[in-house]
Formats: sequence, structure tokens, C-alpha cells
Amino acid sequence: MPLEPFKSAQALTMGVELELQLVNPTDFDLSSSATDMLHLLGRGRFPGDVKPEMTESMIEVSTDVHTRHDALLAQLWQMRDALVAAGDRLNVGLCGGGTHPFQRWFHQRIFSKPRFKEISSLYGYLAKQFTVFGQHVHIGCGSADEALHLLHALNRYLPHFIALSASSPFFQGVDTLFDSARLNSVFAFPLSGRAPFLLKWEEFEHGYFAKMEKTGVVKSMKDFYWDIRPKPEYGTIELRVCDTPLTVERAAALACYLQALCRMLLERSDPPPAEDDYLVYNYNRFQACRFGLDGMLVHPQTNASLPLREDILATLRRLEPHAAALDSRAALDELYRVAAGEGNHASFLRRQHAEEGGVEGVVDAAIRCFREEVTA
Amino acid sequence: MPEALINLMGQVAWPLALAVAWLAGELGHRWLALPRISSYGIAGFLLAAGQAGVLPEVRGGAMALLANVAFGLILFELGYRINLAWLRANPWLGLTSVVESACTFYAVFVVAQALGVPILPALLLSALAMSTSPAAVLRVVNEARSSGQVTERTLHLSAFNCVLALVVFKAVVGYEVLSSAGSVFQAVWNSLVVVLVSAGIGALFGVAVPGLLRLLGGLARNATVVFALAVLMLTALTDALKFSPLLAALAFGLVARHRRVVLSQVQRNFGALGDLLTVLLFVFVGATLDWRQAQAGIGLALAVVVVRLMAKTLATTLFARLSGITWRKGALTGLALTPLSAFAILLLEQSRHLKLDLLEEVAGVMAIALLLEVVGPLLTRWALVWAGETQRKEEG
Repeated sequence: MPLEPFKSAQALTMGVELELQLVNPTDFDLSSSATDMLHLLGRGRFPGDVKPEMTESMIEVSTDVHTRHDALLAQLWQMRDALVAAGDRLNVGLCGGGTHPFQRWFHQRIFSKPRFKEISSLYGYLAKQFTVFGQHVHIGCGSADEALHLLHALNRYLPHFIALSASSPFFQGVDTLFDSARLNSVFAFPLSGRAPFLLKWEEFEHGYFAKMEKTGVVKSMKDFYWDIRPKPEYGTIELRVCDTPLTVERAAALACYLQALCRMLLERSDPPPAEDDYLVYNYNRFQACRFGLDGMLVHPQTNASLPLREDILATLRRLEPHAAALDSRAALDELYRVAAGEGNHASFLRRQHAEEGGVEGVVDAAIRCFREEVTA
Repeated sequence: MPEALINLMGQVAWPLALAVAWLAGELGHRWLALPRISSYGIAGFLLAAGQAGVLPEVRGGAMALLANVAFGLILFELGYRINLAWLRANPWLGLTSVVESACTFYAVFVVAQALGVPILPALLLSALAMSTSPAAVLRVVNEARSSGQVTERTLHLSAFNCVLALVVFKAVVGYEVLSSAGSVFQAVWNSLVVVLVSAGIGALFGVAVPGLLRLLGGLARNATVVFALAVLMLTALTDALKFSPLLAALAFGLVARHRRVVLSQVQRNFGALGDLLTVLLFVFVGATLDWRQAQAGIGLALAVVVVRLMAKTLATTLFARLSGITWRKGALTGLALTPLSAFAILLLEQSRHLKLDLLEEVAGVMAIALLLEVVGPLLTRWALVWAGETQRKEEG
């Protein structure tokens, strides 16, 4: 199947997908309840879209297409309330967080759907280990070439999203010392990582995708697990490195950060992206995963070493006029507080672990964060 | 010499029976996909005094206390898994429980009367029939690692109907004492006071033990042993005082959970200790059954088992949609509630001090217990499998 044509979308529109954890409120382990939740949610009118994910203990929700922060947040709140209400009726807890801190991957059940069964038989235990929870943000692009430009221009900012969203310090019962342990599970897939450096859709379509398809390795864009990938049928690029935050407020803030950043990048005042930018890409990404906001970046063009936190704060300041134009100041203010002092959700979860003395307490705190508007 | 040999056989009869039962459990699980507890019960029944005669008479004594401890651990764990907030969030669930229990009581009573059972045994039988054996349900759930709505609801409904069954049972016993001994004090003591005090002692433990754990700190490592010791103490104490160890253990778990000290995964079933005591519990329960008595009540038993299944399934199906699940899962919940044996037998066993030999008197109980010994856990297992809530083999 050849790649479908890139559908032009209204530039700078955004949409958010969240993969959420379904948890048993008794022992705080993951609960295989996706089928039951989908049944109950399917009876009413869900204010958004809700889908099954790879294993029975995950559920994925997505918003409509938005241009404004307040409208996006309002929809996320509605979706959250509907989910919590359904969870209460079924004795199922819902929470964000990139990983479940102590679930055993071999206990997970693959959701009964042909595509998931196929992936499961191909990847084996990797598929079950893929019981991790991410936030995906779509940004609408006016043209296919614009999409590829944004995709590659964003390479330098990618660690920002990892560090700001990181909420998966615990995995399989231990503190991994990573702020985002989730991404380590994603890297295990052969088609993960970065997209090839091609800036023209022509070349991407015929020079890359068609060849890959001929090898039989991939059938559609869905088979690529890239950090950012184009989504031709929506006319968007999709950022996939974020952990699902503990609150929907943070999810909305991250989406608006990306929106403002893309607005700035479309002005093309940064130096154009180059293949060599990717020399430091994996190193920077590791720094963000491992150390979160305390990571050190190497600037791809100047090769200067700079603290990730400083880079985020500087970027937020540069984005001020764009946030003003997009009316998303509140979103960027939240991220400013995170970078300037509050810390990300990974550090919040570590504090909970120290106070509660156990990984179960971590899940308990995550459930409370998701249902209430507490500041995490 | 032969006398010494017989003596020796008597000494090792119980350990031998446990080993045989365990082996049967493993083989039955592997070859016939039987829940292990079904095989334990059958092994106990076959080896019992009334059948093969390997085991000595089991009434009373140390084994009964151990069986009570084993059951106490299971009830504690069940209580710990009950989320009372769920009843508030989903009142239909509470209603399901009440209707399910009431329907069962009524249906079984009507059938027992129709088959000529006198009123008092009929009432006791109906009270017992309300309950779903928490031991069977919890063991099957843990063995299959199932999770989902049928699993959760079966566990909750089992806990609720056991409490309801126990209260009604004690009330009937109180009424019986009143009419036979004529003492109001004794009657109230044997029903109301026993229920309230048992639950009270359990609740007290539920507050004290988590408090102690918090004082000690480092609870993740110690919690299993501490809770196990507490259940041991609670069982011995309530048994000695002639209160209800069953209700006390359930109340203990329930209160401990709502005091929020979290049990970690490893401690499901109380680990290897729980596994061992479960073998003992089901062998014990199987060994209390006597083939000759069971045979006599088989007709009644069949009728009761059928109407009980119908009543439970009807109620859980009726409220399925209203409480947020599919008709199918509602019906499967009813099916999963079939097991009965352990709870009923132990309850009768514990009423021995009343000098009413209820185990023999309550017609049909033996036969029902025997019938459901294998069928009950198997139906629970099938219900969970059909609901798609267990780990499927090809992926395990």
C-alpha cells in the first residue's frame, strides 16, 4: 500500500492523545479492565474519542482538533470527568504517568484486536513490555514539506518535551534513576528513533517510504515508532516522546508549548535543520531521559554545552510573543514554574515514594492527581 | 509390631493426606485443568474416616482450629480486597447483593419445604445457601490471575453474601435457642451479640495492627508475617470465646484495608504459608463429609443447587446493565458465585458448642457440599475464562 497523500491541515491546529493506566484501587496493580471501561463509556456520549491500546490495562483517549489552549483544556477536563465517573462505577482507578511503577509485564493481557495480536506475535515480550503510557501531540501543517521542515527543525527541542513531561522514574518495582524510563521501552523497537533526514515530501514518499515498503519491513506509517512522525492522513506531525503527565492541565500545557514552538519555527529565524544536527541527538535525548531538567545538552550547531533547564527557560522567554498571539500564556506559565523550581512529575513521584515508603503509594498519589485539580 | 505400625499410620495420617491431596491438585490441574482446590477437597473426602478411613474422625480438635486459621487468612485477604467506596459510587451493586441473597434464601426455602424438610433445618439450609465460599472464589481468582468486572464483582458479592448468610444463620440459631431453651438472654447472646462482638474484635485488630506496623516502619518487608500472626491470634481468641472467627477475620481485613496499609503483590495468598494451609483447609472440609449421609440428601441437594444457581444468576443478570456491565458479564457473575462448601461447613462446625449437631441435622448440606466441591470452583473458573478475564494460555 503506497503512502497516502499528505492532507493539508490548518496550520498550528493541535490535538492530544493520552494513554492512561487502568489500576485496581485495592493493590494498585494494573487492572485488565479496558473492555469493561470501553463498554460502559460506549453507552453514553464520550466528550472526545476513546480507544483500546495494546494491553487490557491501557486505554487511549484523544481530543478533537483545537486552536486554543482554553478550549483544549476544557475538553480534556470533560473527558477526564467522564473517565473518572466510569472508573468509579467499575471500581477502576485511572491515572497518568509514563510507566506503572511495579506492574510485571508478563502479567499483562494483549487486547483482543487483530492488529495488537499481530504485533504481539511479531515482537513477543517486547509488546507486553510496551505497557507504557505516552502523550502524543499532533500539530496541523499547511503542506507536506512544511511538516518535514517542522519535524526536523524540532530535533533540537525534543529533549525539552522529554524533561518537562517525564513521569516514569519507577519501572518493575525499582527506581530506575531515569526521569523517563518509558522511552527505554520504546527504543527497544527496531523502527524507533528519528525519521530519516529528508526535507521534501517527494523524496520521503518515493525515496524512502516506497523503498522501505518494498523491503516488506513496513506496511504503513503506523509501523514506525519514531519520536516525531508525519501523519499524512491528518496532515499533521505527531510528537510521541512525552510521558503521559499526571494531570490533564500539564498535558494541555505541553501541547501549547509545541504549538508556540512550531509557530516560531515557521518564521524560520533559527538556522535551517541539517543532517549533522542528529550527531548529538541521541546523546541529548539520553540526558533528558536520565536526568530530566538537570540534564546537559550539547547544542547541535555551536557544540556548546548548556543546562537543559536554562535552555527551556530561554526558549519559553523567546516564545512569549507567540504565546500572546496564540492566547496560551497560562500554558507556558505552568511550564515556566515546572522548569524554574517546581520540578517535573518524575520528581513529584519520587517525593511521594520517599514519603509513603512504597511504590503503591506512588500509584495512589497518581490516581489522586488525575481526578483532582491538585498541583503536582 | 503391627500395633506400632497402626500407631505410626495414625500419626502420619494427616501429613500423608496433605501430600496426596497436593499431588492430586497438581495433576488435576495439569491434566484436567481442574482448579487445585477441587482436587484437594475430593482427596480429603476419599481419605476420610467415613470412606477410605485413612484419616481419623475430624470433628473438633487441632485440625479444626488450623482449618479455621487457614480460612481466616483467606477471609482477611478477601476483606482487604473489598472497597466499600464502590458501594457508594455504584449503589446498584449493593442492591444486586441484597436481592441476590434474598432470592437465594427464598428460593431454597421454598424448595426445601416442598421436599418435606422441617421448618428449622430449612431455614438454616437457606441461610447457608446464600453464601458463596470466599475460599474457593479467591483461590480460583488468584490461580487464574484474573482481573475484570466479573472477578471484582464475584469477590465483592461473595464477601457481602457471607456476611448476610452469617447474620441470618445466627438469627435462626437465636430463634432456635429461644424456642428450645426459652432463654431470651441465650437467644440474643447467640445471635446478635456474637455477630456484633465478632465484628468488633476484628475491627479492633484492623485498627491496631496497621497502627503497629506504622510505628515499626519498614512495613513492606514485615506486613505479611504480621498480618498472618494477627489472623492466627484473632482466630484462636474468637474461637476460644465462642465468637465467630469467620466474621472477625473478614472485619479485620476490611478495616485494615480502609486504614490503607498496602499489601504488595508477593503477599497474595499469604505466599507459601497460605498455599499449605489451603491444602489443609480443603482436605479438612472434604473429610467432614460422609458418603452415607450425603447419599441420603442427594435429591434435595440437586434441587437446591439448581435453584440457587438460578436465583443468583437471575439477580446478577437483572442488575447487570444498571450497574454498568453487559448482560453476559452479569450472568457470568452469577455463575461464578456457585461455590459453597468451605464457608458453610466451617460455620456449622463452629456451631457445635451449641450442642445441636447441625452438620448432621441440616439435611442435604453434606450432599450439596460434596456436589459443589468439584463443580463450584470449576464453574467459577469457567465463568472467568468465558468472561475473558484470565490470562490466556497462548500468551502466558
